[in-house]
Amino acid sequence: MTAGAGVLSGCENVRHKNTMANVVVVGGGFGGATAAKTLRSLAADLNITLIEPKADYITCPGSNWLFAGLTSLPQLTVDYLALKQRHGIRLVTDSVKSIDRDRRRLRLTSGQDLAYDRLILSPGIAFQWDAISGYTAAMANVFPHAWQAGTQTTLLVRQLQAMPAGGVVLIVAPPDPYRCPPGPYERASMMAYWLKQHNPRAKIIILDPKRGFSKQALFEAGWRQHFRYGTADSLIEWHSLADNPITQLDAQTHTVISDFGDRFRGDVLNIIPAQTAATLASEASLTDKSGWCPVNPQTSQSLFDPYIHVIGDAAHFAPIPKSAFAANSEAKACAIAVYSLLNEQTASTANWLNICYSLITPEHGISVAGIYELDGEHAVAAVREAGGVSQVGSPELPILEADYARSAYQSLVNNSFR
Amino acid sequence: MQLKQRLTALWLMWSLPVFAEINPQLVALNCVSCHQDHAAPERGIPLLVGLSAQTIQQDLLDFKYDRKSATLMPRIAKGFSDDELRVIAEYIAQH
Ligand SMILES: Cc1cc2nc3c(=O)[nH]c(=O)nc-3n(C[C@H](O)[C@H](O)[C@H](O)COP(=O)(O)OP(=O)(O)OC[C@H]3O[C@@H](n4cnc5c(N)ncnc54)[C@H](O)[C@@H]3O)c2cc1C
Ligand code: HEC
Repeated sequence: MTAGAGVLSGCENVRHKNTMANVVVVGGGFGGATAAKTLRSLAADLNITLIEPKADYITCPGSNWLFAGLTSLPQLTVDYLALKQRHGIRLVTDSVKSIDRDRRRLRLTSGQDLAYDRLILSPGIAFQWDAISGYTAAMANVFPHAWQAGTQTTLLVRQLQAMPAGGVVLIVAPPDPYRCPPGPYERASMMAYWLKQHNPRAKIIILDPKRGFSKQALFEAGWRQHFRYGTADSLIEWHSLADNPITQLDAQTHTVISDFGDRFRGDVLNIIPAQTAATLASEASLTDKSGWCPVNPQTSQSLFDPYIHVIGDAAHFAPIPKSAFAANSEAKACAIAVYSLLNEQTASTANWLNICYSLITPEHGISVAGIYELDGEHAVAAVREAGGVSQVGSPELPILEADYARSAYQSLVNNSFR
Repeated sequence: MQLKQRLTALWLMWSLPVFAEINPQLVALNCVSCHQDHAAPERGIPLLVGLSAQTIQQDLLDFKYDRKSATLMPRIAKGFSDDELRVIAEYIAQH
């Protein structure tokens, strides 16, 4: 594939050839919503259908801020009216039960059947319930993961607030790769901010199967500054259990148990299990043994089916982290690729952007950025000169970044859904 | 398409087969993920609407070469050549 070919392909005779094609987008999260909206901006007369079971979408971004009392579920909720009315996307409130790849048809839970010329999947994640024995889907209603925002998050907020004085919160962090690498540590920060005011002798213990984590130096510096991190009465402790991860839950005694039998008891347990691509993707045989969907990054076409594009958390775009910002960026490159394929053009070379902000306190924001392109082997690679984490310097910078974190959240939601 | 453009395109295709030409449209789409918050004009990320290509280009070059203090943009601007920044700035100003 040569980059130059794309320049030639604007010829009018092919441009309108396939614009009445049916593109179906499955999953109305950051990836799916952005893909539908971007595709519409490229092709005014394309048939674009979005299938999503929920009438309202509650964003995971911003949901950690609930623990510090900085936002509310209604403020984190978006609907699909703008996509429908402003952008002319056909909305089907239903879920996809199965994909008939040979006939290019979808079977919906309601029994309806739907044909597609190109399918864009952004179905998000599923949890590996067998990774910690005793931690089942039902058990998540007792010990919430809160890794899909909504009732799970409010349950965990209530448990935090009801915790006895001097109690212990255990956060069992997931192994890589997972949705939102800085998420568990932002959550610990936001919980600590609340506990510092309402339950100052309490403790948050993070049990981590990893040797390190995203923005670690910035988080730890913030924790030292605000939460006595590193001292005996720190509000937050981080323990790497890389060679001895948590493998078992004893629900009766509120205890998690490691591979070698170490036991940790907590008053509140937030267990974030290992993750894979959503069930729909694995049932359609679009995942490999990693549990995620391998794609050709240039077009986001599945390596198993050229008519199916996979984006967002479900897809393997490493080293791009699994974030809402990245899902939005992948969706835009995908929309351009789908448009080009429908018009039998060569798509321009893809590139991606990712920025993840985290709040340590309402006045202390940090960020990590990455710009990604294709390397010589057509694999995704970070542009080495760019990206990286917030610089440490003037005390105004974290205050500014906290404001930008809130602004970037609002902007990303507008950009994806409105 | 004009003959001259066509020839340029052919020249590009033959002479630079692995040259990853930047698509300013795609980059600009990613820029507005952040530059689209109308709610908090004072404390938020600045909007880019109404800025001239020249202003945007100058800002981006200043970010890239650390001539302008900032929290984030230098880490983004360093990902592009000066020429790419110009093309991106022109695209944003026109759309
Ligand atoms: C606590 C937390 C904090 C986070 N903070 C940030 C942050 O600050 N910034 C950031 O960039 N990212 C953040 N993230 C990550 C972000 O939430 C995800 O990366 C993002 O939601 C991925 O988008 P997606 O489209 O891939 O999946 P999702 O947003 O999960 O959307 C998938 C959609 O598909 C639908 N679906 C699934 N199966 C089917 C089916 N069979 N049929 C029809 N529809 C289906 C689901 O209902 C869902 O709405 C955070 C995540 C968490 C958990
Ligand atoms: C993650 C959010 C984010 C993204 C993505 C982003 N910006 Fe910015 N931009 C900012 C912030 C924050 C500032 C304020 C300066 C700073 O602190 O970095 C800014 C400032 C600017 C300014 C100066 C505007 C002014 O009036 O002062 C320009 C120009 C700009 N950005 C252009 C771009 C371009 C072009 C892109 C895409 C290549 C881009 N931005 C992507 C967050 C973002």
